[in-house]
Amino acid sequence: MLSRAARPALRAGAVSSARPVAPNAATFATLREIEDRLKSIRNIEKITNTMKIVASTKLTRAQRAMTESRKYGQTSNTVFENAETKAMEGEDKKTLIVVASSDKGLCGGIHSGLSKCVRRMLANDPKADLVILGEKCKAQLGRSNGKNIVLNFAGVGKDIPTFSDAQAVADQISMLPTDYGSIKIVYNKFINATAYEATPIEAFSEEAIANSPNFSAFEIDDEVLANLREYALSNSLFWALAEGHACEQSARRNAMDNASKNAGDMITKYQILFNRTRQAVITGELVEIITGAAASEE
Amino acid sequence: MAFAWKASGLTYNKYLSVAARVVRRSLKDDKRLAAERRGEMELRFAKWTNGKQGDMKSVADANAAAAVESASSS
Repeated sequence: MLSRAARPALRAGAVSSARPVAPNAATFATLREIEDRLKSIRNIEKITNTMKIVASTKLTRAQRAMTESRKYGQTSNTVFENAETKAMEGEDKKTLIVVASSDKGLCGGIHSGLSKCVRRMLANDPKADLVILGEKCKAQLGRSNGKNIVLNFAGVGKDIPTFSDAQAVADQISMLPTDYGSIKIVYNKFINATAYEATPIEAFSEEAIANSPNFSAFEIDDEVLANLREYALSNSLFWALAEGHACEQSARRNAMDNASKNAGDMITKYQILFNRTRQAVITGELVEIITGAAASEE
Repeated sequence: MAFAWKASGLTYNKYLSVAARVVRRSLKDDKRLAAERRGEMELRFAKWTNGKQGDMKSVADANAAAAVESASSS
């Protein structure tokens, strides 16, 4: 019945299509728009999903490197624990803060967490100097505390940090003209796959080591002391870099996981909207056809 | 106790990395490739003065230059 009724209307429609079809064109345009957005959201989901997979494979490697590097740091810290070394307090000695971030973003609030922690430390000790590893924290701290920065390093965090990285950084730090009372390395401590915390670890100056109460337990010559300090600094740096790297990978994995989920939500939302709009357009057309047919029958 | 490497301007870290490099290079080919990747270092750095960033330089070059300088001064 409908098909017979529709035919004259079709002819009528063909005639009417010569007239401008402004309202009709608008609904078709939105349909096309929704389709385009759907497509681009699908692409974004694909990208974030791939990044998530890449991050999770890197994460397992990073975690392994982290547990290995922890041994370096902890072993070198045992010496100071047994010697009961304490940081030099007060006086006019300056403090150096080393920030272990990385070059890459897209991993949630991991870098800004570090920056916030450093800013808090700077509020307590406004004279402290900063050495920044990685571009991200440099951008953040360079804006607020540019005057405190003495060195920054780039090229951190491309891959798992190597001990040569840590050694080169430690060399540059020990070449700084100022004699620092204590060196604090701020890094992201890996608690579990979803939690991390900006934590400082201490690297002691020669005087602090020499003044430690239980120092006589070790037989250390004065000349070797400088070597020990340099080596301990690079050990701690390596630990901080590796642990920070693992945190970054896990944070990136989580961030990309969330992004993919959000993209999935948006896709279902837009899919429903798309289907509804298409249905509405079809219904509208049918109504036009039927009313047209009814009008031409009279 | 005076060290020959210290007199020639190397820091302890530099001394270690040279020693590590020698060990890595003396490994067999298959192991050596994996091990040498662990010795790579491509950091760049910049000195800051008064809140302004200086030029980016390669850390490896700067460390080598510093070693030469301290060797000639001592």
